[in-house]
Parts: sequence; structure tokens; C-alpha cells
Amino acid sequence: MKWLALIAVIATGSLLIYAVSDFPDWGSASSPANGGVEGAGRSVSQTFIEETDTLTHVPNIVTAVLADYRGYDTMFETVVILAAGMAIFAILRVLRDTEKPVDQSKHDPSIDGDHQRIIIGTTCRLLIPVIQLFALYVVAHGHHSPGGGFQGGVILGASFILLGLATDLETAIARFSEKQFIGLACVGIFIYAGFGVLGQFYGRGFLDYGALQPIFMTDGEPMARSHAMLGVEVGVAFTVTAIMFAIYANLASKGELKNGL
Amino acid sequence: MIQETIITIISTLLILCGLIFFLGAAVGLLRFPDFYTRMHAAGKGDTLSSFLVVLGFAVYQLHDFKFTEAGFKENWWVLLLILKLIGICAFIMITSPTSTHALMNAGWEDDIEPELKHKDANELEKDYPRK
Repeated sequence: MKWLALIAVIATGSLLIYAVSDFPDWGSASSPANGGVEGAGRSVSQTFIEETDTLTHVPNIVTAVLADYRGYDTMFETVVILAAGMAIFAILRVLRDTEKPVDQSKHDPSIDGDHQRIIIGTTCRLLIPVIQLFALYVVAHGHHSPGGGFQGGVILGASFILLGLATDLETAIARFSEKQFIGLACVGIFIYAGFGVLGQFYGRGFLDYGALQPIFMTDGEPMARSHAMLGVEVGVAFTVTAIMFAIYANLASKGELKNGL
Repeated sequence: MIQETIITIISTLLILCGLIFFLGAAVGLLRFPDFYTRMHAAGKGDTLSSFLVVLGFAVYQLHDFKFTEAGFKENWWVLLLILKLIGICAFIMITSPTSTHALMNAGWEDDIEPELKHKDANELEKDYPRK
């Protein structure tokens, strides 16, 4: 059986290596990724590179492609993240109280806790605001420099996870409760889809940000697209933040949202 | 010209020092006898060596900088870059010792015994009772 597997692997591998010879040369101008096939029209990437700045006024082409040209794709990517969080919730979360209820008033949700944690508590107090501020910067600057909703959301979620790791889960949950993070995750999708539906009120297509020009009161449609992209990124950041923390909280406490790691 | 040479030498020295400390940390991590001494090597060596290496990068950035009034006006972004690198240094100085401390603490509470010459010489047991 092992030999059979080895033969299959070698056969597949040599087929793949054989296929490499059909690849375009490294950096070849006529490869589809660079300039398009000879004789055909302008390639897709060429179109993005040349027209993004005039059509959207967004310097970061990657964000423009993600949030505008492929808006549907990104929207449902965000929905996938929400679905992942909901799946973990559905599988792990223990909703019945198996033990007798813990007296919540006894738990001290301050970061420092007892004196043994004072070094960790002080560091958290010092770092978490900086991390969260940087996360907001990454979200807000997503269409001007590398960053965006997913990255900023992950950083923001990580700041809450750091709090949960450094102290205990109750301390983090006291600041970002289950009701809040599940709500925030749905609000994120709602914001994204809302920007799409808003365009339909002006008789244009779903996720056609140019139609939002009267709402944003910009000079032209390109600037409206830029603003709408920022709004969409904020929605993505909401969902990613909430789901990051939800996944951590459920996995770390076996779905009980108590004690944690 | 002379400025560039000096900058290169300083930054190379800093990075080399950092690499030496990295080596020390790696050897300590592998060779020390128990959990606590290993964490000691990793925590101290890592902090200082990454600090030195990043500081070396910061000094190297001065290549693009002219110490004249026009230089300040044109190449202010170099100072910004150096400020960011120094920010990274500050972050490492704060976070790396804290994470070492947190790991040590977790190890202590998880009943990891330190390696001692005399088994009953563990004075820490009295001062820091495990939870």
C-alpha cells in the first residue's frame, strides 16, 4: 500500500513538474499576469492599475480591488467568518448551567487583580490602549496604506484576547460581553450589506458605491466610492474583531465562558 | 562620505552585538538545565539582542539623511522611520520581559520544580506559595 502511494505521489509530482515547462517565463511581458496574452485586449490587472486612481481615488489598489471591484467576494468572505464563529458557537457553547451558578459579584474584574499579577496587569494597561489605537489606525488607513478591515479587526480582536490571556476570561468578558460580540459581528455584516442596499435606493446596482454620491456629498463619484470603501472596511473590522474574540472565548473555556485558560 | 562610513560601522557593530547576544540566548535555551534558567536565558538574551539589532537598523537609516536645514526639510521621513523603529524597541523592552515573567509564573504554579543542589533549599516555596 505504501509503495502504491509512493508511485502515485511520484507520478503526480512528475506530471506537475512536466507542466512547469508550459509556464510563461519569469517576468515575461506576455504572461497573463503581466500584460495579457498577445493579440488579446488589455488584461484585468492592467485595467486595475491604470483606472483605480481615476475611478476611486484610492491609492491602495489592493483595497480598491477587494472592497469595490470584488465587493461581493469580500462581503461573503465576511459572512464566512461570521458563519465560522456561529459554527464554533453552535458546537461548543454550553448554554445549560451544569454547575451551580457562580456569584458574579465576587469576581473582581479589575486588570490588576491580586498583587502577584501586578507586572502583567501594568503591562496590559500600558499596551492594550496602544494596540487598539493602532488597530483603529489600520482600519481607517486601509485604503491609503497596507491594512484594512480584516487586518485591523484581527489586531483589535487580539487586544481583547491578550486581556483574556493575561488575566482571566471573566475580566475580558466584563469588558466585551457575549451579547456585545455576537451583536457586533452581525452589525458588521449589516453595515457592509447596508452600503450595498443603499445604492439600490438610487436605482443602481447592489454594492455600486458610486450611487452614494448624494449621501456623502462629494464632488464626484470616485470620492464617494472611496468613502464607501472606508465604511465597508469598518463593517468588516466589526465582524472580524467580534468573531476573533468569540472563537477564543469559546475554545479557551470549552464553551462555558468561565475561567478560561 | 565619511559620515556614511561612520554610520555603516556603527550600525554593523550594533547588529553584530545583537547577533552575539542572540547566539548566547540560543545556546542558553538549549544547554541550561531546567525550565527557569532556560527562560532566563531566552528572556534576557532575546530582549537585548532584538533591541540592539533594531537599533542598528535605525542607525542605518541615517544613510539617507543630511544634517543640514535642507536635509531636515527634504528627508524628515527618515526621522519618522527612526522614530517608528525606536517605538518597536520600546515595545520589545516592555513585552519580552513581561511574557517571560508570565511564563515563569505559569510554570511555578504548574509545579515545575527548579533544579537545585540540595532538594530542600527551595526558599521560594515559603515566599511565593503556589495557588
